[in-house]
Amino acid sequence: MTKRFSTSRLLSFLTYGVTTSMGLILLIYPFLFPAITQKSTLGQARLTEMPLLLTLLLALCLVVLLYEVQGQAVDTKLIALLGILVAINSALRFMEVAIPGPAGFSPIFFLIILTGYVFGGRFGFLLGVLTIFVSAIVTGGVGPWLPSQMFAAGWVGMSAPLCRPLVNKLDGEGKISEVIILAVFGALWGLGYGVVMNLWTWPFIAGPADQYWQAGISWVETLQRYGAYYLITSLAWDFIRAAGNFLLILLLGSPTLIALRRFKHRFTFTYRSSYSQGSKLDQKGDTT
Amino acid sequence: MISFQNVSFSYPDSERPAIQNINLEVAPGTLALVIGESGSGKSTLLRCVNGLVPHFSGGSLQGNVRVNGLDPVQATPKVMSRHVGFIFQDPEAQFVVDRVEDEIAFALENFALPAEEIRMRVAEVLDLLSLKALRYRRLETLSGGERQRVAMATALVMRPEVLVLDEPTSQLDPKSAHDVLETLVRLNRTLDLTVLLAEHRIERVLPFADQLIALNVKGNGGISGPPRQVFAQTDITPPVVTLGKELGWQPLPMTVEEGRKFIPDIESRTPKSETIPTPVSQKVAPYLQIHDLEVHYGNQIILDGVNLDLQQGEILVLMGPNGAGKTTLLRTIVGLLQPAKGKVIAGGVDISNKRMDEICRAVGYLPQDPNALLFANSALEELMITLRNHAGKMDAAGEQEADRTARALLERLGLINQADDYPRDLSVGQRQRVALGAITVTKPKTLLLDEPTRGLDYGAKQSLAQLLRGWRDEGMAILLVTHDVELAAEIADRAAILKQGKISSCGDTSRVMRSSVRFTPQIARLFPDTDWLTAQDALIGIRQIFS
Amino acid sequence: MIHTWAWIGWLISALVALSITRNPLYLFLILLCIALVGWTQERRLSSESSQTQNLLPFSPFKFVLVIITLSALFNAVISHFGETVLFSLPEWLPFLGGPITLEALAFGAINGLVLGGIFAAFTVLNLALPVRSLVRLIPRAYYPVAVITSIAITFIPNATRQFQHIREAQAIRGHRVRGLRGWLPLIMPLLVGGLERALGLAEAMTARGFASSEGGNQTSQTRLGMVLGLLMLFGGWLLRLIEGGQLLGIGLMILGITLIAAMLWSIGRSVPRTNYNQEIWRFRDFLVLIGSMVVISAFLLPIPWIDQSTLHYNPYPILNLPGFDPLIGAATMGLLIPIFIIKPK
Repeated sequence: MTKRFSTSRLLSFLTYGVTTSMGLILLIYPFLFPAITQKSTLGQARLTEMPLLLTLLLALCLVVLLYEVQGQAVDTKLIALLGILVAINSALRFMEVAIPGPAGFSPIFFLIILTGYVFGGRFGFLLGVLTIFVSAIVTGGVGPWLPSQMFAAGWVGMSAPLCRPLVNKLDGEGKISEVIILAVFGALWGLGYGVVMNLWTWPFIAGPADQYWQAGISWVETLQRYGAYYLITSLAWDFIRAAGNFLLILLLGSPTLIALRRFKHRFTFTYRSSYSQGSKLDQKGDTT
Repeated sequence: MISFQNVSFSYPDSERPAIQNINLEVAPGTLALVIGESGSGKSTLLRCVNGLVPHFSGGSLQGNVRVNGLDPVQATPKVMSRHVGFIFQDPEAQFVVDRVEDEIAFALENFALPAEEIRMRVAEVLDLLSLKALRYRRLETLSGGERQRVAMATALVMRPEVLVLDEPTSQLDPKSAHDVLETLVRLNRTLDLTVLLAEHRIERVLPFADQLIALNVKGNGGISGPPRQVFAQTDITPPVVTLGKELGWQPLPMTVEEGRKFIPDIESRTPKSETIPTPVSQKVAPYLQIHDLEVHYGNQIILDGVNLDLQQGEILVLMGPNGAGKTTLLRTIVGLLQPAKGKVIAGGVDISNKRMDEICRAVGYLPQDPNALLFANSALEELMITLRNHAGKMDAAGEQEADRTARALLERLGLINQADDYPRDLSVGQRQRVALGAITVTKPKTLLLDEPTRGLDYGAKQSLAQLLRGWRDEGMAILLVTHDVELAAEIADRAAILKQGKISSCGDTSRVMRSSVRFTPQIARLFPDTDWLTAQDALIGIRQIFS
Repeated sequence: MIHTWAWIGWLISALVALSITRNPLYLFLILLCIALVGWTQERRLSSESSQTQNLLPFSPFKFVLVIITLSALFNAVISHFGETVLFSLPEWLPFLGGPITLEALAFGAINGLVLGGIFAAFTVLNLALPVRSLVRLIPRAYYPVAVITSIAITFIPNATRQFQHIREAQAIRGHRVRGLRGWLPLIMPLLVGGLERALGLAEAMTARGFASSEGGNQTSQTRLGMVLGLLMLFGGWLLRLIEGGQLLGIGLMILGITLIAAMLWSIGRSVPRTNYNQEIWRFRDFLVLIGSMVVISAFLLPIPWIDQSTLHYNPYPILNLPGFDPLIGAATMGLLIPIFIIKPK
């Protein structure tokens, strides 16, 4: 039993580690690339297929990670809860009327972060990934951008419990410090999400030019060009997203946390019967 | 088919058992009706039958339950789902897939039945429930009644021996409710299905019920037996039964038709047209005046020249078939919809073009779903929020004053002991009173209510009626939209009927309610030549005749 | 009309073609084919207008034009290579200063053509496939995910309606949205109502015999297999970049993908579930697939009588005319087959 348990832990650890680091490498790959190419004799054709190949690899990382997470975090109650929350989150994403925010602002991270924090990283991961997926298929927004968006939103949810140690250290549960920590976390991810999405679009936008026409180009120069691109295309939007996340969590975080905690036990409880030959039953509740 | 032996159950973290010492037997093919106030354990009892209690709820169960020879606790809900079909109260919250056909097949797909068999069973069930026309429809486009029929189909496709229904019609209008119950009776008769049904609209099912299970009667666990026998010992009875019990009719009539046998000797001695006109003074100018109101939706006319007056100190009940525009009328009055023509005058001021929060200080409106209002952490806070909405920023003295106002209202609503409770944890009736508090805490002179008795049990209806009467006596003008004929009969000072966007009749309650069979209460059907509407009216009238 | 997997095949062939060539003539041709298919599909959908699904809120053609223009301008200010200088931006501008060249403009426009093509191909797919088909694409190994998705799609219209009710209910108690804090009364009832509904739904699902813990149980083998497959894929991809490792790399990648696919297949088999409403694969679906094969072969396989060197094109250092092989051009027409199957009524 203990041995099986530890193998399981090990496998989980392996999966999380491999998928996350692979995802990261795939995203920053364009900057590592020049260093590698100089030693290689790749033809032009190979290089042009790169952006879509990167997307495909990212999608496969997601597939493997999703399998791992799905198997560990889901029973009927949580399936129903996830379904409903994904619907609410997607509906919030569509409701332009309700969201008089500036471009770049998106209300979806609010619930992803808070439920990830309260119900656990796997739950947050699934909420993030599926919110993006469902709203894409409902609005006809399926495209190559999906894997990286899903990955990024999943990371947001999965990393939310990282706030826990800090909150515990400050003994902040239920206090304002907890909300502030989460709000700052939301702001950081507001920027982080933009960075991930930009890294993914970069090879598409930049094309393969600077990688092969001029052999001497250094990663510093690539980085510089990326900087210009980032500055022009997204810094303003990312900043708005970060500010939106920060304010939403700061203003609405505390009552939302109270509500989620009120319901947490009802969702995570599982019944274990100690039933034997028609005798009396015991009550067993258990919070996972 | 179903047997309970000394069954008791308590929920986790609860001191008081939800059901205690229940003993009952339900024979195969029986239609058994479960009655009891809310909190008496109806839902718990039903959930014991398929193992949701205790598998889904947790808690501790004692005693023995057997369903078709199986022990639901040992068998688990998964196994029980093939023997017991379960229909829930809310027709919106039971679906997983968005198309009728796929939804019906969902459970069978989970059991990995062969595709051919699934196809056959789905076709069979669609046929049985007359759902063929809806087969490819999306669930969101269905009405509440159609959804409940689909829910029945999802249960029946498993070919269960027992069908359990937990207040399946409480969220439906009378027409849909009638369809659902009629279908149920037909299934019970034709398939020999054992049916266990919890229902507030007792009078509708009573003619078909073989067995009655009353819970929590006078502190006892429950009693079960033939309807007549059980009714003799309970207080929750439809008007005809109430009257029959009071007058000692034997055998106790269950329906209006059965009651008629006892009438002839009364009828002949009933004085006609000795009616007292409703005590509404016509001289005072009406507080709320609706002039020639027209509302369009696209090129559809919803309201077509509605004229209606509402006096201070009266309760006007507005009835009408589904889709007649009742809710539209209320929403237009409070400014949620813009009329194409006409105006609304409250207290001499035209409010048609005012800002919503100004209108709402004069006219309170309780929408159908009180849950849409409630979000605070306590009932008291809920009332305070409304006050703050209207007052903007309040100083300390203002806060204190507001706190006093809110507490006084909670006292009146009978919720003072729940002031600090989380509103969403309260019973349906209490939740609704909190919502009512949140609406009326600004002391509007008019109150509009949209279907306030939806999902309420007998007791909760009575306390609502009492509350409304109290407000009326203090001079509030109340417009009540309802399908609940018996409540209307009891509470209305005047009645009106809205049909196809027009007021088709308006005036004396007794006259208006007798103008259409659909809106006639039981007592009025029993005594068509009187102006009696409730069991109370009839008792007083009969005693006068015989004294 | 056309089987979901036939559409996927069509999409893959378009994507392969778009990512292999940088010759603007071929790219333009591909984009044209995609646009024609999309246009036919849209006409068909609007002719059966009772189904208002997925009709696009903006014109994809305009969007593609915008992509091409922006991409050209963007590349022109970012890269300053090329010999045909149009004009120069002052050097003191960080990153942007320097000569603006015709070649950089052309290079950016080609980027835009590729991007626009990818975007258009997915737009066609979104138009062609109803939501149900997309949900059905979720492999059986991801059964819980499929159920969650299905619940969410079923509940979205309800959530939107619920939100309207809440807005009205709050408005009649004097609420006005003033700043972000004004959202609280709108979001909280929606969220709490959702939590309550989720409990009700879970109960209904349990009563109908749904128990997710059965079937699809993760075993150590499948979990390990998935990670190993991924590592092989990744390793192969890296190996391919190193000199001489190309063939080995590609082999390793194929092995990795096969391993992952095999794992998914075996997990799927362990989930006991029927899919009773399956799509029927018809002859015309073969035609679409064959068309896609033709495109992929012409762009990817070393066929002797096709001049694949015309696929490559580079505007640097000085703008030159791209080559054109009529055979490749003809093969591209394989993308047009869906047009003959989706006939507008």
